[in-house]
Amino acid sequence: MLFHCRFLLFLSGMKKRHEQKLVIISLGLFFIFNVPLIFMFNHLGSIFGFPILYFAIFFIWLLSIVATYFILKRYYE
Amino acid sequence: MSNLVLVIIILCYLAFLFGIAFLADRKSKSKWVNNPYVYTLSLGVYCTAWTYYGSVGIAANDGLNFLPIYLGPVIALPLWIVIMRKIIRISKQNKISSIADFISLRYGNNRFLGALITIVCVIGIVPYIALQLKAISETFEIMTVQSSRQSTHILSDSTFYIAILLAVFATFFGTQKTDASENHRGIIASVAVESILKLFFFLIIGVYVTFYIYDGTGDIFSQMSKRENFETLVSFNGLEDGFNWLFMIMLSFTAIFLLPRQFQVAVVENTREKHLKKAIWLFPLYLLLFNVFVIFVAWGGTLTFDDTTNAEYFALILPLVNGHNFLALLVFLGGFSAVISMVVISTLALSTMVSNNLVIPYGFLDKFLTGPLEKNDFYIKTIRRVAISLIIVAAYLFYVTFSVELSLYSIGLISFVIIAQLAPSFFIGLYWNRGAAKGAILGIIGGFSVTFYTIILPLISQIYTGSETFVNEGPFGINMLKPYSLFGIDFLSAPAHAFFWSLFVNMFIYFSVSLSFKGNYRERNYAEVVVNSQNFKDLQDGTLVWKGEAYVADIRNMLVKFLGIARTERALQLFFKKYDIPPDTQMADARLINFSEKLLTGSIGGASAKILIASVVKEEEISLVEVLKILEESKSTMASNKALTQKSLALAKLSDQLKEMNETLIKKDQQKDEFLDTVSHELKTPVTGIRAATELLIEEADDMPAPVKKQFLENILSDSDRLSRLINHILDFEKLSTGRAELNIKRQDFNETLNTVLRSIRQIASNHQITIKRLNIESIEIAYDEDRMLQVLTNLLSNAIKFCDNENGLITVDYNLTIDYLKVYIFNNGNPIPAEDIDFIFDKFYQSKNQNTVKPIGSGLGLAISKQIILKHNGKIWAKNDKNQGVTFGFQIPFV
Amino acid sequence: MKRKILIVDDEPNIVMSLEYAFKKNDFEVYIARDGNEAIQIIQDIIPDIVLLDVMMPNVDGFQTLAYIKGQHDLKATKVVFLSAKNKTTDIEKGLAQGAEKYLTKPFSVKKIVGEINELFD
Repeated sequence: MLFHCRFLLFLSGMKKRHEQKLVIISLGLFFIFNVPLIFMFNHLGSIFGFPILYFAIFFIWLLSIVATYFILKRYYE
Repeated sequence: MSNLVLVIIILCYLAFLFGIAFLADRKSKSKWVNNPYVYTLSLGVYCTAWTYYGSVGIAANDGLNFLPIYLGPVIALPLWIVIMRKIIRISKQNKISSIADFISLRYGNNRFLGALITIVCVIGIVPYIALQLKAISETFEIMTVQSSRQSTHILSDSTFYIAILLAVFATFFGTQKTDASENHRGIIASVAVESILKLFFFLIIGVYVTFYIYDGTGDIFSQMSKRENFETLVSFNGLEDGFNWLFMIMLSFTAIFLLPRQFQVAVVENTREKHLKKAIWLFPLYLLLFNVFVIFVAWGGTLTFDDTTNAEYFALILPLVNGHNFLALLVFLGGFSAVISMVVISTLALSTMVSNNLVIPYGFLDKFLTGPLEKNDFYIKTIRRVAISLIIVAAYLFYVTFSVELSLYSIGLISFVIIAQLAPSFFIGLYWNRGAAKGAILGIIGGFSVTFYTIILPLISQIYTGSETFVNEGPFGINMLKPYSLFGIDFLSAPAHAFFWSLFVNMFIYFSVSLSFKGNYRERNYAEVVVNSQNFKDLQDGTLVWKGEAYVADIRNMLVKFLGIARTERALQLFFKKYDIPPDTQMADARLINFSEKLLTGSIGGASAKILIASVVKEEEISLVEVLKILEESKSTMASNKALTQKSLALAKLSDQLKEMNETLIKKDQQKDEFLDTVSHELKTPVTGIRAATELLIEEADDMPAPVKKQFLENILSDSDRLSRLINHILDFEKLSTGRAELNIKRQDFNETLNTVLRSIRQIASNHQITIKRLNIESIEIAYDEDRMLQVLTNLLSNAIKFCDNENGLITVDYNLTIDYLKVYIFNNGNPIPAEDIDFIFDKFYQSKNQNTVKPIGSGLGLAISKQIILKHNGKIWAKNDKNQGVTFGFQIPFV
Repeated sequence: MKRKILIVDDEPNIVMSLEYAFKKNDFEVYIARDGNEAIQIIQDIIPDIVLLDVMMPNVDGFQTLAYIKGQHDLKATKVVFLSAKNKTTDIEKGLAQGAEKYLTKPFSVKKIVGEINELFD
């Protein structure tokens, strides 16, 4: 019976495949927030009063939050 | 605002936080204290005064550079699902209480490594705490508009008193339990509240500056864009900036794992692993909200004052100059909250490290072993309390001595770079099992030396010599060794430069040393356990390979010294129960050694625990190969255990079935016994009558009057009849129930059969003043065995007579035809059958307590035989109490 | 004075033989067909001895014995079981509850009378 309970513990959390989705998000963030990719947004000008670079960073930031939220909500048991 | 009023407000606010902590400690099991939101908010301890005030200062002066400090964590958080979960699992299993404990565990509970990490952390964090005190002092000054900071006497400096209060707070709520790996719910709850307040107040000031003082984000942007140098604030200036940016992101990435306070809230204070599910997306959101208004506050201030020297405190000054004192007070309290949570958690984490990884393993072990038991607990707590006070005092002294020269931002980054020295041994050690203690130690020392040279030494030399020659020309004029541009790499900012070089050296040493020495078996064992934690987590206490001799009694004595008798006994009992070991076992095995080490780790740290346990056991050397082989075996044991579990489940099912069968057999056996018992009793009764009467007739033949004689003879006759009837019934019943009876089935008129029975039974009925009524006299042709049907009807009618009402006995007989069945009902107006009897009345020898005649006319087998007969006809028999008075017995036989 | 005996049994044939035998031996004989009747009669006559069957409808022998043992004025009344149940557990139970003897059916009338007389020697 002891063994049985431990197996249940083992099952909690997420499947490897879905965990890896989060790892990919992390990697993606690292690349897009760094040279050279970040230079894509290195322009003057503003969106909603935010400088373009700030807006891009905040927007990607927000997107990553939404993505992780949905992945965790769906796949974390 | 007057000095006194502000002090009173601060005191009230502190009292409020004390109250929250106190309540949360009292209700530490409540779901208000243990939920993913509290966990996420407690991670907000990352945002200190540096975030609250410092970010605005950088945004105003250097532009983008405040952001990487938050982008690192934002990149790191999704990875937590893999990394942090692993760390939390390992830490919970091993009762880890600090980052020093964690790293030294990975390297074989290495005492020196733990101490080294502690020292590095203290050096890194004390200035950081000083920076928080500085923020309090400066904001206090701004709020009260007095120049109190330059006060000549410590006792007139309010910052000093606030520092003392914080120390009291950390001491009171942080050292209630000896086991530092246990949760401090009170402190965490107050940190969560502070995290809400600081974010909320910062958002308020952001909205206030952006939309109240100015006309929205667009307004601020268009006004700012007219200023010169605006470009440098909103964009990268070439690739060099990009590199600085990259290193800053990496720096903050390591910080979110390695800062002692972050480790404390994320790992040690984690109550449930699944809280990560919320934190992973919610904490980046928290950080995002904290950063959205930074540039607007910074630029609003810049536009208002046209001067950025005081930019760090724009959030405070802006409402003040506009006469919104209350708003300024809120901002002040927000910043104050950021300070309190950082200082309290940091000192708590550091004090645990200082006591468990430095003071106890190096100075107090002997004292603990020889001293009286009751004192140890007190000593451990006292060490931590003293450590908390000393850390805060040190921070205060640092602030008084150095802080005039340094900004929030620079001290913060120096701290980060120092703490980042733990990164190689921490991150690589998590996934590379060859990483060795020597490599970790030398790597940290090397990296720290580089940090010292490239960022600390220049500051010190500047402060003491007042000149910049060391920075500008290098030591002894050697250009290649200029601290801010080693070997000509001159395009990086000082912290990025220091980070790059120190980690480069650190990792190089770590790898090369780890690879150039053969590993120690004990160390490698721990490494395997951490690196492959996935494989070992089910082994629990079996993870450490250990050979040697140890006595349970010795280990018990050792545990008692630190845990007390009660806790020790409870823990050992649990242990013995869990592994099914007899509690009087004398020799300890590896599991007990491991288990005891873990128990002690929470109180005195892993290194000390290992030393203490080693002192009472006699360990044999094992070769590294052997360790690896045994671990490999344990892994495969795990796999076969899985298969075994499945098998044992199947076996359990089988044995359940067997048990069930056995039970039915026992029941059947009991029923047989009862049957024999009842049969013999029933047989004995008429025999007794015959025996007694016969004896009297013989003995008293002369004196007995003739009528008495006749009566006795008649008794003998009736008893003999009863006896033979009984024997016939028993044989009949056995024949029917074993299926040996043949039915003689013919089509005939049921009405006729019923009449035959009634003719013989009416006499008996009228003797008992019972009326028998028929409701149906139709002829019905149906196939059945007539003799058997007579038997059934006789039995049911005699039964009805037996249970009829004593005075106005009434029996009604009815039958009808449905499509498939002939249904027969025999009703009597006697008492209902008790509910507990109704299921059993067709069982053999079942005699109700309710019958009105003294003895049953029949044998006790009548209803049982009837049931067998009806079943033989493929029919059904039943008894049912009427709603009013009376009982109906009924049966049906198929109309075929 | 004649000794009073109460015979409690639901088998009329058996009762008849016992009644005859005890009357012959100078007992004053009373009859009850079950425990209920027995309890009523006992209160009126305070018998010296009760000869008690075990298996009876309504109130059985053990219950009747328990009643007798509970009454203060029945202290002198002796109880003897007479039952077809002859398993040791039954016998032990009867004696444990305070019966003087436990006699089994079928029986010799002479022997029963002898056993009862023995109680008064």
